[in-house]
Amino acid sequence: MPGTSTDIKKQICPFLAPRIRKIIASLPVDLLAKTEEIRLRHSRPLIIYWAGGESYLGEDGPVAVPGEAYLLTEDDLKKTIELISNYSLYAFEDEIRQGYLTIPGGHRVGLAGRTVQEKGSIKIMRDINSCNIRIARQVKGAGERVFPFLLDRRQGRVFHTLIISPPQGGKTTLLRDLARIISNGIGLLGQRGQKVGIVDERSEIAGCFRGVPQLDIGLRTDVLDACPKAEGIMLMLRSLSPQVIITDEIGRHEDALAVEDAVHAGITVIASAHGSSLEDVLARPILRKLLDKNYFERLVFLSNKRGPGTLEMIIEGERGLPLYSANTGGEL
Amino acid sequence: MYLKLLGATLIILAAYLMGCQVCYLYRQRVRQLEEILLALEMFRAEVNYGLTPLPQAFQNIGIKLKKPVGTLFLNFSSILNQRQGLSALECWKSSLEKGREEFSLRVEQMELLARLGTAWGQGDRRGQERQIALIQELLRQALQRANEEWQKNDKLWKYLGCLGGITIVLFLL
Repeated sequence: MPGTSTDIKKQICPFLAPRIRKIIASLPVDLLAKTEEIRLRHSRPLIIYWAGGESYLGEDGPVAVPGEAYLLTEDDLKKTIELISNYSLYAFEDEIRQGYLTIPGGHRVGLAGRTVQEKGSIKIMRDINSCNIRIARQVKGAGERVFPFLLDRRQGRVFHTLIISPPQGGKTTLLRDLARIISNGIGLLGQRGQKVGIVDERSEIAGCFRGVPQLDIGLRTDVLDACPKAEGIMLMLRSLSPQVIITDEIGRHEDALAVEDAVHAGITVIASAHGSSLEDVLARPILRKLLDKNYFERLVFLSNKRGPGTLEMIIEGERGLPLYSANTGGEL
Repeated sequence: MYLKLLGATLIILAAYLMGCQVCYLYRQRVRQLEEILLALEMFRAEVNYGLTPLPQAFQNIGIKLKKPVGTLFLNFSSILNQRQGLSALECWKSSLEKGREEFSLRVEQMELLARLGTAWGQGDRRGQERQIALIQELLRQALQRANEEWQKNDKLWKYLGCLGGITIVLFLL
């Protein structure tokens, strides 16, 4: 398990209102080490989520029923929001419009409240009543098993790859670790480090805080933080000369066009998409178009069957040949 | 006789200086209100052009201003940075409490200063701007009154001090 209890105590607790801080800090170490999310909802119980389960928290630790749990007050939420935004909601308007803030350490705080609209889009979020602190966990080595399948040893390049998994399946963790591996290079495989560009629209891959990556993404990696994917990919192409572009959750028409441009420019693209199977992906017109044109040379399927990041299958894009399958117990 | 004359001069001088001290209070009040208004103008620039977070903004502003306004903002910034889990309002109240003695403001002017605490970091950029603008307007009115008071009382207190001194001397003679 990558995160430790001290991470949460040091990195998350200073951003919580005093009462919640006390409750979280007094939790058993093993529970803290596996905590993935802390959910704060107005007038409702304090809940933490961990791989495969959840716990209601009372003032003296985990409790069995929601009725005994600590109910969050307006003051708790208000103070937490103030601490998370560093007392400066005005400085994070764009992030709040997107529904999240990132705090040092790369942890993401999702927000829900009353939205104010202007010209059909969200202008600002007010009266925030719900807050989800997602603990960023860097799993160094998550990509080591996958990487040999993505390496074109003859040409010394990385294949264009699409990573497919359901939510919380470990897509972002894998992307981050692949960025680190490709950027640093792996001596054993004779692979030297390559220049990597991450277009991190939701600040999830590199976990940037004020533009500075908080997670290890490698020596030769540049990050465009909070940048729309399509624009970011074009910007990378123009000015940062990456050899590999990494981005998450492609799905819009303009994303597909930007991916096409990058592929034609001879730059490796590694991207991710939501889905559980090839059928899911093919059902989405934009992704189907990209797959029909055989842009992606490798498709990696993940699931959370045996915990997040379970490698299910790797197939070769063009001919649809499976290279790895968890069902048959490994390499084919 | 010379001794008496010396004593009388000293009494008149002391009374005059006491009058000056009261005038100084009026002058300080004006200066401090001007500094606060300047600080708020700087803060608006930090919010609008720099999107600087509150603790950093007050650190930047505090070092540019004189005591006690500068110290108040530096204290506020340092309390915010301690992340004790207090709200911005609580941090502001605590730093204001710490520096209260240093200010020469009237009670209602201090209350205006305290009211700023409810505005810090609240709402989006436009909301923040509006809240600050409102308090700036009230402070401007306070400054105008303080200025008038100073003009009116400056000479009055100096004369009063002087005349008071002379009266004491006449009584004693």
